[in-house]
Amino acid sequence: MPIPHAATTTADALRVGDLRKAYPRRGAPPVHAVDGVSFGAERGRVVGLLGPNGAGKTTTIKMVCGLVRPDGGTIEVCGVDARRRPRHAARHLAAVLEGNRNLYWRLTARENLRYFMGNRGRSPREVAAAADALLERFDLGEKRDTLVADLSRGMQQKLAIAVAVLAGTEVLLLDEPTLGLDVHTADEVRRLVRELADEGRTVLLSSHDMAVVQDVCERVVVIAHGRLVADERVATLLDLFASRAYDARLGAPLSGDQEAELRRAFPLLVVNDGGRSVRVDLPHGDDLYRFIDVLRRERTPLESLDRVAVRFEEVFRHLVRGGSDAQGTHAFAQEARYVD
Amino acid sequence: MWTNVLRANVAKVVIELRRYLPNTISMFVTFYVIFLAMLLGVTVVGDPAAMDQNVRFLLVGNAVWFLLLGGINSIGWEVTTEATRGTLEQLHMSPVAARWILLARLVGNLATNLAIVGLMLLASMATTRTWLAVDLPFLAAVLVPMLLAVAGLAFAVAGLAVVYKQVQAMLQISQFVFLAMAFVPLATAPWLELAPAVKGIDMLRASLVDGAGFAATGPLDWLSLLLNGAAYFALGILAYAAAERRAIARGLLGRY
Repeated sequence: MPIPHAATTTADALRVGDLRKAYPRRGAPPVHAVDGVSFGAERGRVVGLLGPNGAGKTTTIKMVCGLVRPDGGTIEVCGVDARRRPRHAARHLAAVLEGNRNLYWRLTARENLRYFMGNRGRSPREVAAAADALLERFDLGEKRDTLVADLSRGMQQKLAIAVAVLAGTEVLLLDEPTLGLDVHTADEVRRLVRELADEGRTVLLSSHDMAVVQDVCERVVVIAHGRLVADERVATLLDLFASRAYDARLGAPLSGDQEAELRRAFPLLVVNDGGRSVRVDLPHGDDLYRFIDVLRRERTPLESLDRVAVRFEEVFRHLVRGGSDAQGTHAFAQEARYVD
Repeated sequence: MWTNVLRANVAKVVIELRRYLPNTISMFVTFYVIFLAMLLGVTVVGDPAAMDQNVRFLLVGNAVWFLLLGGINSIGWEVTTEATRGTLEQLHMSPVAARWILLARLVGNLATNLAIVGLMLLASMATTRTWLAVDLPFLAAVLVPMLLAVAGLAFAVAGLAVVYKQVQAMLQISQFVFLAMAFVPLATAPWLELAPAVKGIDMLRASLVDGAGFAATGPLDWLSLLLNGAAYFALGILAYAAAERRAIARGLLGRY
């Protein structure tokens, strides 16, 4: 489905600058839900918006959607100032919010599509053919006349995304699109998200599922305590936090002398499983040969040697635990390699 | 654009009326039963010499009360229900402002309410074998500005619902206020002319009960009716807009 592009001088379809929001509390200092967050999302890219619970992700998303008024900062959607012209910005943005909260349960799949497009000023005739085609694409063709209440959770989620896609906007916000879905349906949603980006849409995706993030996002923006912690490509973060550690499975438990010798050569050695396995950091190519030499010298039999694979979940954990700003990410990653 | 918004929302109201048919029928039955109870009261307690007039008064008052209830509370209930379902936020993400979507929804609700009130009035007249004078052009001319005032009240109620969400108790209590609006004649309380829709209700009553039409209605009556409708509509929209701004500033839209 071709996506019309709004005229803009920036490569970012979505740009957020120094966004701030504080919620007042009676008899207590205000809660700074979002405190100076800035990021952009390039056209045709999938950007992940991540953070622990209470980090400010939902508030950020809602400010971008115009559902919460920021206290300060800027929001540009396809070059339109969303704070000054929210209705104009809404022409370029569609969102699927968390949970099954986006549809009318007493309307059918097709009726929901027609209704929401009607609210965007589009006529039923204009929408009819596109709606049916989209239902087929999302594997909901047979369910077009089924009430949303009678659809499965996964089908409801796909329909909610279909409604957002049918709007034909350049920017899509998806808040936890795979939450509560089975593996098969979650895979389908991931595939759809990648296809949407390939079609030129910009997708801002918020998720707690790091496997989804690692799979579909090219870049991630990580927020913690209302502040930006990292804004980096996923591949770069995985490289930065790439483990140089190896797990060695030994043929026999280490003796005290063997362990002492290994620790002299590799001070950060971690002994597990009663001495039957060790985790050792080998930052340089030569270190691997040194490690094997020490084992041979100490007559320690080696059964297997495997590099520890880093998962994005671990990267995320490190970032929110200790990162303070995007510039510190690289330096922090260096330290984090030594933290279990 | 607005035509498509109106079409989509009227279609939604009609579809949901059919899908929630048992609810619609029970609403009709409830008000018919209330009418029968009031009729019993009028028959037993009322002055036999004025029975015919009293029954006509009751027929009109009951129909107007139902119309007011359905109209004024409609989008208040809609906002509360949408907030519970989670779709209120979707309405606010449309390129068309939510207040105009709700206005389209209100038009649909008022139209269906009018149809139901018409049916109920027919059933009531058949029950009492008392037939009101129906001057459709006159009724339409009065209803339009009167319903503008009703719409204004509806938006004020919806504004409260957007901010406070749980307005069910207020909506239930308000039906007694509407009862007073529907039944108290202007002659006994002329100051009520300043209240929303009461002038229109009085003119409707005069037409349906006494057969008063265009000839019996002076320019000052029309001026009062039109100004009342326009003023309350404008005030209601402004109240809703202010409430919506407050809800968005405090992040209350999605909260229930």
